[in-house]
Amino acid sequence: MNIFIGLINGMISGATPILLAALGGTFTYYAGIFNIAMEGMMLGGAFFGVLGSYYFNSWPMGILCAIIGALLMALIFIVFTVFLKTDEFVTGIALNLFAVGATTYMLRQIFNVKGVFSNPGIIPIPHIDIPFIDKIPVLGDILSGQNLMVYVTVVVLLISVFAIYKTRFGLRLRAAGYNSPSLDSSGVRTSTMRIWSLVICGVLCGLAGAFLSLGYVTLFSENMTAGRGWISLAAVILVNGNPWGIALISLVFGFTDGLGLLLQKFLPNQFTSMVPYLATLVSLYFYSIQKRKKSI
Amino acid sequence: MRKKFVSGVLGIVVALGLGAVIMLIEGFNPITTYSALFSYSLGGFYPLTTTLRNSVPLILTGLSASIAFASGPVNLGQPGQLLIGALFATVGGLYIHLPAPLMIPLLIILAMIGGALWSGIAALMRRFFSMDEFITTLMLNMIADFFTYWAISYPFFDKTAYSPMTPQIDKAGWLPEFGNFNTNILVMVLVFVAVWFIFTRFTAGYEWRLTGQNSIFARLGGCKIDKNYVTVMLLTGALAGLAGGLVVMAGPHRFLKGLGANYAWDGVMIAMVANNDLIGTLLYGLFFSSLQTGAVGMELITAVPSEFIQVLQSVIVLVIVAGRGMLDIVLDKTQIKRKARERTA
Amino acid sequence: METIIEMKDMIKVFPPNVVALDSVSTDFRKGEIHAIVGENGAGKSTLMKVLYGLEPKNGGEILFHGQSVNFKDAGEAIAAGIGMVHQEILLIQEYTIWENIILGIEPVGFLGRINRVQARKNVQAKIDEFKFNLNLDDKIEDISVAARQKVEILKLLYRNVEVLILDEPTAVLTPQEIPQLFSELQRLRDNGKTILFISHHLDEVLALSDRITVMRKGKKIATVEARDTNKEDLAKMMVGRDVLFLSKREAKQPGAVVFAIKALTYIDGNKRKRLDDVNLQVKAGEIVGIAGVEGNGQFELVNSIMGLTRPTSGQILVNGKELIAADILERRKFVSFVSQDRSKMGAAVKASITENVMMTHHRLNKQFTHWNGALLDYRYSRQFTRKIEEQFGVSMGSMDNPFKSLSGGNQQKVILGRELLLDTPFLLLDQPTRGLDVGSIEYVHEIILKMRMQDRAILLISADLEELFRISDHIVVLNRGKIVADLATEKTNLEQVGYLMLEGKDKEDAKEIR
Repeated sequence: MNIFIGLINGMISGATPILLAALGGTFTYYAGIFNIAMEGMMLGGAFFGVLGSYYFNSWPMGILCAIIGALLMALIFIVFTVFLKTDEFVTGIALNLFAVGATTYMLRQIFNVKGVFSNPGIIPIPHIDIPFIDKIPVLGDILSGQNLMVYVTVVVLLISVFAIYKTRFGLRLRAAGYNSPSLDSSGVRTSTMRIWSLVICGVLCGLAGAFLSLGYVTLFSENMTAGRGWISLAAVILVNGNPWGIALISLVFGFTDGLGLLLQKFLPNQFTSMVPYLATLVSLYFYSIQKRKKSI
Repeated sequence: MRKKFVSGVLGIVVALGLGAVIMLIEGFNPITTYSALFSYSLGGFYPLTTTLRNSVPLILTGLSASIAFASGPVNLGQPGQLLIGALFATVGGLYIHLPAPLMIPLLIILAMIGGALWSGIAALMRRFFSMDEFITTLMLNMIADFFTYWAISYPFFDKTAYSPMTPQIDKAGWLPEFGNFNTNILVMVLVFVAVWFIFTRFTAGYEWRLTGQNSIFARLGGCKIDKNYVTVMLLTGALAGLAGGLVVMAGPHRFLKGLGANYAWDGVMIAMVANNDLIGTLLYGLFFSSLQTGAVGMELITAVPSEFIQVLQSVIVLVIVAGRGMLDIVLDKTQIKRKARERTA
Repeated sequence: METIIEMKDMIKVFPPNVVALDSVSTDFRKGEIHAIVGENGAGKSTLMKVLYGLEPKNGGEILFHGQSVNFKDAGEAIAAGIGMVHQEILLIQEYTIWENIILGIEPVGFLGRINRVQARKNVQAKIDEFKFNLNLDDKIEDISVAARQKVEILKLLYRNVEVLILDEPTAVLTPQEIPQLFSELQRLRDNGKTILFISHHLDEVLALSDRITVMRKGKKIATVEARDTNKEDLAKMMVGRDVLFLSKREAKQPGAVVFAIKALTYIDGNKRKRLDDVNLQVKAGEIVGIAGVEGNGQFELVNSIMGLTRPTSGQILVNGKELIAADILERRKFVSFVSQDRSKMGAAVKASITENVMMTHHRLNKQFTHWNGALLDYRYSRQFTRKIEEQFGVSMGSMDNPFKSLSGGNQQKVILGRELLLDTPFLLLDQPTRGLDVGSIEYVHEIILKMRMQDRAILLISADLEELFRISDHIVVLNRGKIVADLATEKTNLEQVGYLMLEGKDKEDAKEIR
């Protein structure tokens, strides 16, 4: 039973950053942007999260700084793709590399370390125990006691569904992706919707990064996002942007992350680390087969 | 042609300027920094040959990306293909013992096979399951990273070493050096010339290029799209694999953790900034190598951390690519204004 | 009637040096239906786009109700009271009619939540006011093209525009849907709206409008009252010379059957029959024209013939050879193909002219390569390009320039040159004169007729009924994937073919008159 609970909790922890980043990616997906910079935004968020938490000695400041860090990355993306009309693919790749370089550089310059910065002065985001619920056997250990960010993620998910499908913002956002000349001819600027979607993506990737460096673990290491941004991109594409589908897929990926930890008893840890990426390939396989059947 | 050159040079100048601004903010002197940087990479025989040697993996992975992007397949798997190519060359170098004139070509071929195998997996997944190679090559990168890590930690681990790495390969597989001039440069030049010929003068290259520009047009024209797709994926995988093999054969002569995967992403960036032009890739590859080679010296003399170069590189890419687009817009606007003035005059 | 819009000395230049509007001055009166006519490239679309704010002007002044205006985008124009319906329907396919109509001015409540009830009520009120026959919950992707056009118009009326601009409104309609549109437009005019429409169909323009403005090569030629002019005068003003509307085919005895399709059927992934037991024959020295509203199987037919898709059953034969299982290269030995969309299927626009011309020849003609097809012989390709330039009257700069540097007419000539110089018995031409000016169209027709005299078998797909009647020997009508009529051109007329295109049968009965 403990293994089971451990697995579920591992799944939730693994899924959280992917889900947040993927929700951010959903907004840009619907707006019609080919956004592959989630990896870079998350990394920026992770670094600035540690920076903020350490220097202000508080995790709320950490989260705030993480958001600002990711927003900076998003801002660069906005300036280049919306205003300078640079190719989104190139900008995304360059931004990811920029994020790696800049965070590594700042790690060196600000904290004077190479590789990893870990320090008791970094205040992590706390876990929340919900009274009453934590007394329920089994379910209590899952529903209560999760990191604050997990609960935030659930709220974000619900808000995202509402925003995208029920509000005027969502109607215009999706119109920007479906047919941007049409939206423009209706008097709403597509570029405005795209900028907003990137801002939202920045905020959400910032939260994802904060969870990575202040929740999942409490440190910053070079390139710690380790391809999670790519997995959330895969999630968005596989599910065609539906937030509920993304939640499901994120849980699946989080599960494989947790499964990997479990399997470490049997396999060398390099193979267990591969599991999420192999899982992505498998999902892509099923998705592609299904898509092919539809077109024939 | 001239537009390409101008926008490239202009972009570099602007980016170096931005770098100078960042340095000033941090309290460094841009002039001494840049002069230290370039003297360490271009000032003399030793720096030049070092820069040339370091440019080999950059140019080869850049070629891989350029050819792939220009022909259609979105092969972003150079990091993984480089690693697998390096692994194949290393394993061959550990267990096969032949005299050098045979050994070196053999290891080169093994490296190319390794890279082609890795990209071939993605190609097959696309051909048979319609799986987008954009995602599969990216996932395969991570998988290759972990796989090679395991390989050098367990089956091929050097028991006398303190960290994950293989023993050194047979000396016959070491690329000869003449002073500081490493023959990997010769290999790269040969490969570059061959690839350039194929891409621009051969029927195959013509079909690849036109397919990359308009695949339906090429298909209607009778080009065998599917066959060409696989060929390009294999070729570009082989190029990235070759880069990996040469890193091992010219450098540490063994596979260690952290072996040159960075080169591959830099190669992708180089392809983008060169807009998939082969000669542009070569030139930008040399330039980026000079930045990276000089970074160590820069840090020694002026204490600017060498990681700064990574930042500078991505800024250069962004500025040049953005600048290309802007140059077009500006040129068009001036032409419009001129014509309108003619009319009203 | 008062002047509602005045445009003075409008100038518009497109890079690199195309002068689309050359100091054009004109005015429009309130409550009139005003047509703007001209050939392709005359500047009529550009004039309206500049008025509407879709394109920035490079010179001149626009007065609306006497006030100087300069709309930066469509939103500003609509807010001022001018709305434009484009040729390509600009609606969101995935949304419903009411969602499309309220987009941009949605009634909202708490936290921006859309007030569905209010929105639907408002839209229904407008539908009833103008008596459009629309169901507001239908998705755009599910309704007819004519209905979509109505939604576009409704969208503008919903925003209370006074001036409606329509760009080639009849281009997407069948002959039978046009009168309905006309009566709706006349009703709107009688309600006080001003209607400007762009067209190059002179019969319609004369039937519908009050006044007509003629443009040619970026200049305004004249504005006339519709009742004071006729088709010949308008055509002369548009083209600058006397234009013949007659057929140019010489009599010719067709030869043996070259191309045949037997029982061709294609069922798509959604189990819809796109091609239904199609039977077709083209003889040597014959032009068979396929008429039909877009979307009735032409696309699938072309794809099946070329080998892009595999039909469910049936046969495709050239000179008796079965092609169904052949790959595209094999088919290209027998089929020359001019696609309907130059930049999508007919060329690689950024590549050089030479590189575009080489395609297919590089595989079928050994003279283009060395070493058994591996190495290209660029010199031979360049000679070949030169040959096309001379034979087809192409005006190009250097043959190394990108293909897109050529004008539309020259692009089409290059493509025709490439395709027709393939030594094939059968030509498949899909909208070969789409988007070309009258001069180029005539030239292309001459070339096609020459091919006919040289005993090639030609299958021509065209949305231009006049074109079909001018050059085809037989007209075949495609409706819902079925051939519903196969008529000798001399034995039929525009009205009959138009009816068949829409209804799928004759007014009396489905008859084969061959």
